[in-house]
Amino acid sequence: MLIDKETCIGCEDCHPYCTVGAISSVEWESGNVSEIDQAECVECGACFKRSGVCPVDAIYMPKLEWPRSLREPFSNPDVKHPSTTGQGRGTEEMKTNEVTGRYTYGMAGVAIEMGRPGVGTSFHDIQTVCMGLAKLGVEFEPNNPLMELMVDKTTGKINPEVLNEKVLSAIIEFKISSDRLKEALIAVREVSTQIDTVFSLDLISRVDSDGTMPNLAIAEEAGFTPRPNTKTNVGLGRPLFKEA
Amino acid sequence: MTHTLHRRGKTEDLQEDFVLLIRISRGINQEGSEEKMQQIWEVISHYEKDLVNFGNHNPNWGDGELYDMEALKKASSRIIHVVFKDRDKLKACLKEIKERDFGISVVVSGLYEETKKICSEIGLAPHTVNNSLGIHGNVDRLPGEDVLEIHTMCGHAMVSSNLIQHMVNKIDEGGITCKGAAKKLTRMCDCGIFNTYRAEKLLSRMTSNKPS
Repeated sequence: MLIDKETCIGCEDCHPYCTVGAISSVEWESGNVSEIDQAECVECGACFKRSGVCPVDAIYMPKLEWPRSLREPFSNPDVKHPSTTGQGRGTEEMKTNEVTGRYTYGMAGVAIEMGRPGVGTSFHDIQTVCMGLAKLGVEFEPNNPLMELMVDKTTGKINPEVLNEKVLSAIIEFKISSDRLKEALIAVREVSTQIDTVFSLDLISRVDSDGTMPNLAIAEEAGFTPRPNTKTNVGLGRPLFKEA
Repeated sequence: MTHTLHRRGKTEDLQEDFVLLIRISRGINQEGSEEKMQQIWEVISHYEKDLVNFGNHNPNWGDGELYDMEALKKASSRIIHVVFKDRDKLKACLKEIKERDFGISVVVSGLYEETKKICSEIGLAPHTVNNSLGIHGNVDRLPGEDVLEIHTMCGHAMVSSNLIQHMVNKIDEGGITCKGAAKKLTRMCDCGIFNTYRAEKLLSRMTSNKPS
């Protein structure tokens, strides 16, 4: 996003709307005006059409060239990823699992929501986490939009052209057998000390017939405490996936 | 999208925050789903007065007003989001959806103990669960927990921490009510998952000027 300094009246109304705090006031010929730090802006559009906050329409979206063009689909939930048919930084994950069978008994799904909540992330940090996980041989979710940027699935390396780009969020999704979950979560904890951003961590489990989720005890053994609120698929989708 | 999973807050606050997410599975039960989704909106409309927010991921720029339910009943929805503050109303709505047997996936976001009870009471069983294992990394960059509780009600992070603090300051200055501020905040969340009822209560706690 950019602000036309000739049009801006310096009211600063747009400043709080920025999701990453990238708007500030600078001196200009006609007095103070607002400016967006282009290194920090994630092209989420919050200051622009979504808020409609600018009283003089000084904020505008220029044509974004590669690799900066990556920022918008990873930051603005209204913009489709070129690699998927829908919005979203991730996939359907467990929301349709009774139909897709993506997560079965004895498996764990893990999602690392890089940059969430509200901090944003560089692809450098995303690569750091991906490389830490790739060492374990995890199965990265192939339909996740990050995958087209991962140039080597065995090492987790991301296309070097995009490493300096910053986005509001990107979700690293992988599956692993439950007997290797503890090892994976410990690796996640280790890599969390090597990045400059935050991530929200998800653990997906098929519920056993007795109502238990053995993955939770494994997560606790690895030093993680599940929060009391969850997302629960109640199994109403059809056709039902038939598990072996 | 895991945008309804990481809502922060104490258990007693989360007792008033449940999201129903209904969605088709691309390429599996997508065919013929448009009519079914419209019929699901019809069921949801029976509970309109009990809804805190709702939407189908279209721009929610109507000055913080809820979507037009009549329009949604005719719309092409791939995803449906509905926010309840009352678990019994959610239960009634979920029961009706179950009985109509639409064959479309339904996810309940909220306290798991309550979700399990609701399922048990209407003859359902949790199939797959996504657990939040919290926030990690450089957590020094996070805002305070009170701001975070409101911020995480839009999992896409469109309701910025600075905007929440800005609204707190405006309320303290007498420039806006807590209810008005909650409406301003929800306007940024296109999915219709922001719990304006809870946001108003949280803003009231964070400010010295209480009138709503």
